Amino acid sequence: MLLQLTAIQKRFGGVVALKNGNLTVAPGEVHLLLGENGAGKSTLMKIVAGMHQPDGGDMLWKGQKVSFSKPADASAVGIAMVHQESLLAPHLSVAENIFLGREERLPFGWVNRGKMLDAARKLIEEHHFPLHADWRVEKLSPAGKQLVEICRAIAHGSSLLIFDEPTSSLSESETKEVFRIVRTLRDRQMGVIYITHRLEELRTVGDRVTILRDGETVHNCGLNEITNERIIQHMVGRELGAMYQRSSLLPGEELLRVQGLTRKPLLHDISLTVRAGEIVGLAGLVGAGRTETCRALFGLDEPDSGAVHVAGKAVTVRSPREAVTEGIALIPEDRQKTGLATALPIGYNLTIADINKVSRMGFLLDHDKERSLAGDYAKKLRIKCESPRQLAGRLSGGNQQKVVIAKWLVRGARVFLFDEPTRGIDVGAKVEVYEVMDELARSGAGILMVSSELPELLQVADRILVMRQGRITGELPGRTTQEEIMKLATLHDGGALLAEEGTE
Amino acid sequence: MIQRLLPFLTLIALFVGLSIASPDHFLSKTNLSSVVRQTAVINLMALGMTLVIISGGIDLSVGAILAMGGLLGTMAMAKGQPILMGVFIGVFAGCVCGFLNGFLTTKLKINPFIVTLGTLGILRGTTLIISNGLPVHEIPAAFSYLGEGNLLGVPFVLWVLVVCAVLVHVILEHTRLGRYAFSIGSNPDAAYYAGIPVAFHTTAVYAICGMLTGLGGMIEASRLMTGQPTAGQGYELQAIAAVVIGGGSLRGGEGSVIGTLVGAFIMGLLANGSDLLGISPYLQQAIIGATIILAVSFDELRKRKMVH
Repeated sequence: MLLQLTAIQKRFGGVVALKNGNLTVAPGEVHLLLGENGAGKSTLMKIVAGMHQPDGGDMLWKGQKVSFSKPADASAVGIAMVHQESLLAPHLSVAENIFLGREERLPFGWVNRGKMLDAARKLIEEHHFPLHADWRVEKLSPAGKQLVEICRAIAHGSSLLIFDEPTSSLSESETKEVFRIVRTLRDRQMGVIYITHRLEELRTVGDRVTILRDGETVHNCGLNEITNERIIQHMVGRELGAMYQRSSLLPGEELLRVQGLTRKPLLHDISLTVRAGEIVGLAGLVGAGRTETCRALFGLDEPDSGAVHVAGKAVTVRSPREAVTEGIALIPEDRQKTGLATALPIGYNLTIADINKVSRMGFLLDHDKERSLAGDYAKKLRIKCESPRQLAGRLSGGNQQKVVIAKWLVRGARVFLFDEPTRGIDVGAKVEVYEVMDELARSGAGILMVSSELPELLQVADRILVMRQGRITGELPGRTTQEEIMKLATLHDGGALLAEEGTE
Repeated sequence: MIQRLLPFLTLIALFVGLSIASPDHFLSKTNLSSVVRQTAVINLMALGMTLVIISGGIDLSVGAILAMGGLLGTMAMAKGQPILMGVFIGVFAGCVCGFLNGFLTTKLKINPFIVTLGTLGILRGTTLIISNGLPVHEIPAAFSYLGEGNLLGVPFVLWVLVVCAVLVHVILEHTRLGRYAFSIGSNPDAAYYAGIPVAFHTTAVYAICGMLTGLGGMIEASRLMTGQPTAGQGYELQAIAAVVIGGGSLRGGEGSVIGTLVGAFIMGLLANGSDLLGISPYLQQAIIGATIILAVSFDELRKRKMVH
């Protein structure tokens, strides 16, 4: 056995993060680690990687008892972690990042750049990675950055590689590339621990599976011995109903009309409409211009040309403030970075977009009113929290997302732009987000929904627009197939790893 | 909880300790009044700095603003303006300087540390040019009441400080501006995405800080009975230290008026106590420096526990 964890415990202050973490990984095995947010997956992996120290339990590495007091201890024995958020130095080159901390040294602290570059080139060629050793890391897409982290692990001779949700920010074609690499690592007898939230990708990579719930290992078996339904049951600890499928409504008046929206070089001639009660999906690969469309509509980027009508009225939106005034809301891709003030109470986050609702005389805040308003919305959207005073950052991903949505309900927005609404959210909570979106639509809102998860679009959207290289390449009915969407999304597209000059 | 109260407990411990170590001198009315008078100016600046730091900014130019306010206010009096008019001019000058900081930060989108490092030099230089480097002395005698007078048995500056503290507290906790300051400081992107007029409110925060500093400048001038173009050097660091000791975070989104007042008085008592106990002023500086580091490291410890 490569790694054996028995009865690992970890507390943070009064909070128990892990009660009984058990995990065994063999060489040449891809081990899936599953569980809802807060189940203890990340904590367990951070203990393995030496970032946290356990309060109890045993850790055996190749049969020897070990304890790591810092990440360097873990990497010294051959354990490496590819993080969800890149931990690379953005201004350095790919080669420099691969050898960061282990540079080829010359006397007097000089670094042998040439040798480093050669070694990096060899490594990249050997694995057929679409990278160049002298590219600067900041120019890489999220997928490219992950490849660099993988290179780093290989270069250091690691024998166990931990992936923390590697595909959550990747497009379908990039995801395939990651799977290919994971398989080659397995074939070289490396152990791989793979954390994921996407059930549909399990079967393509995994050998064995360990499921955590509430800080405890609840199940462990070979992947071919278990069905997805059983996996979900173990994760949530209860039976889930049938796969969520939203029923369409009869759409009402036209709420959003976009004509010829262009912002070179990312967006070309985008035209679309969203009616009240409708959820319109926006599909495409990363870099296709979906997020850019949302940004332009929300006033974050100024388009070169194009017309936007909201509820029949021509509007010009040059800033989020103007967008909000016109009733447009954005639920951004990265809710921690742009959607929430995580260090502030839930109540503050709910009223941030419309403070007037809880003000007297236009400037004095009415704290009681704010609390009761926040309580009402928490109940309405089933936000699980102790009180409106609880810090938003303490909530689970799904509940945080509900706070972001509730903020716009308080404001009374009618056009909602959802950018990857369920990224990093538990299976159980995803359905709750879909339900909230459905309720929004039923109450007369129009929704444009960007998603990289095709099954999700098929479950939720009434119509699906597909984008490729900044253009809308087709419209499909909500009950279409993944194949139809991918056909429109990938024509002539190689899935380049160098990010375009965009933010997606 | 204990750690949250730590600055407060430290202040009480200091007070009790000094009462025991030097009962006759420390508890005398003259001494306590002089502590209040000495710390009032830093306290006022720190109140403004609290707002700025909560909104995620920093103002290194307050020392220079203090000199500018004090100089222009006293010059007006020297030219025959009434005292109230002089004080108003000092406060207004501070407000304009603060507005300039906010305007540059938001319009040029430059880090406030850099902007105010620049305006620190510009304002100090301008003050020296206006005054030709010479202090203003021709001030009406009654002006000394602001800094040295008593009202109802306590120093007049204490009343000024209490009124300003209450005002800033109300702004922070009970007005839209305060709420937006917390939001902007906690996550400027989220605030912008929510449609908050970030630039306007950031500028307002700097302008208020400038006003309070201008008032501090007038009090300083009143205590010295001169308008000194070189006044307030290094005060910016003391004001920042007060906020930070009181639990404010330079990352923004955190801080309180009570905390800042406690922080300023801790530093005031440390200085006063060292004087009374005959500790060398050189050592005093080191003690205050160590206090800042201690206070912040305790606070970081508390937050780290909370995060996980």
